Amino acid sequence: MSHAEHHITPIKTLVAVILTLFVLTILTVVTSRMNLHGLDVPVAIAIASTKAALVVMIFMGLKYDNKVNSLVFGIGSLFVIVFLTFTLLDTAFRGDLSNTQSGTIMEETRDNEALQAREPDPAGLQFNRSNE
Amino acid sequence: MATPADHPAHLQHHFVSSDQQFDAAKMGMWLFLITEILLFSGMFVAYTVYRVWHPEVFTHMSDLLDWRLGGLNTLVLLASSFTVALGIHYAQTDNKKGLVINLILTFVFACVFLVVKYFEYAAKIEHGIVLGSGFAPHGVSHGVDYSTYNDLFAQQFFSIYYVMTGIHGFHVLVGMGLFAWITVRAIKGQFSSAYYTPVELCGLYWHLVDIIWIFLFPLLYLI
Repeated sequence: MSHAEHHITPIKTLVAVILTLFVLTILTVVTSRMNLHGLDVPVAIAIASTKAALVVMIFMGLKYDNKVNSLVFGIGSLFVIVFLTFTLLDTAFRGDLSNTQSGTIMEETRDNEALQAREPDPAGLQFNRSNE
Repeated sequence: MATPADHPAHLQHHFVSSDQQFDAAKMGMWLFLITEILLFSGMFVAYTVYRVWHPEVFTHMSDLLDWRLGGLNTLVLLASSFTVALGIHYAQTDNKKGLVINLILTFVFACVFLVVKYFEYAAKIEHGIVLGSGFAPHGVSHGVDYSTYNDLFAQQFFSIYYVMTGIHGFHVLVGMGLFAWITVRAIKGQFSSAYYTPVELCGLYWHLVDIIWIFLFPLLYLI
């Protein structure tokens, strides 16, 4: 038979995967309702990625499939990461580089605070046409 | 001259064998799925950029989305992915009844998903959470005072929410059309272990729609 070599995933495997996916869904809801001290986002993304990997590998059969399909999927996913990373390199750091000054941001903050705290010179506050 | 046994009806003349035809179709589907992933990745990047700019707005606004309804829809879509995988298993083992039942179940789960989504959208629109200049959260329901969610940049979150879940919902709708078509063909007995390519390809599409939702659920509803 020409189709004899097609991988047939056993029902037992499919059931194990769907149960794992249900458990991971409950887990992501539970963890999101706890205070993870800033780890909420990485944990949620890690659980979602695990679920997606299970679907891709077993339900979509990439694990048993022709390797060229893994290559297509792998390269596509790689470019999603490139897209995300290089966009964030711009948007997440705007303002850090554009107003270039010799001092560091911390030095600038310190200078600004010093300026704010300084007692103004009364003579400088006088309106004087000769200043113009 | 090839005999009908050597040349089954489903085999197109430009392929050497059923296997070659199946592998070519499947690789074509994976290439299409990558374009789908890239389509959604544009929206995921938009989400990330705006979240990095206004993380507190995104955290606050996600409270307005009901995690119970989102979670229910996640379970429904996962279950539909399972029935598709099961359907393909039955197609491969020449179990027509199993295939048809699982295809119908998949269609039903897709309906459930869209009905839940309809109620979610309706509740949001009722409380003034809409796209564009009409945005004005108001009213109280289930102990939630919507007017306290009129933050600066709140519209960014809901624009992303509506566009991402909207385009995802459209994919669910397309999937329902595909499964209606596949179910009719399965009932007519057009699929067997020797030929089930359309079932396999629609299954791959459906799993991808599921994967998109696997990411949308925590990003929009939970964190």
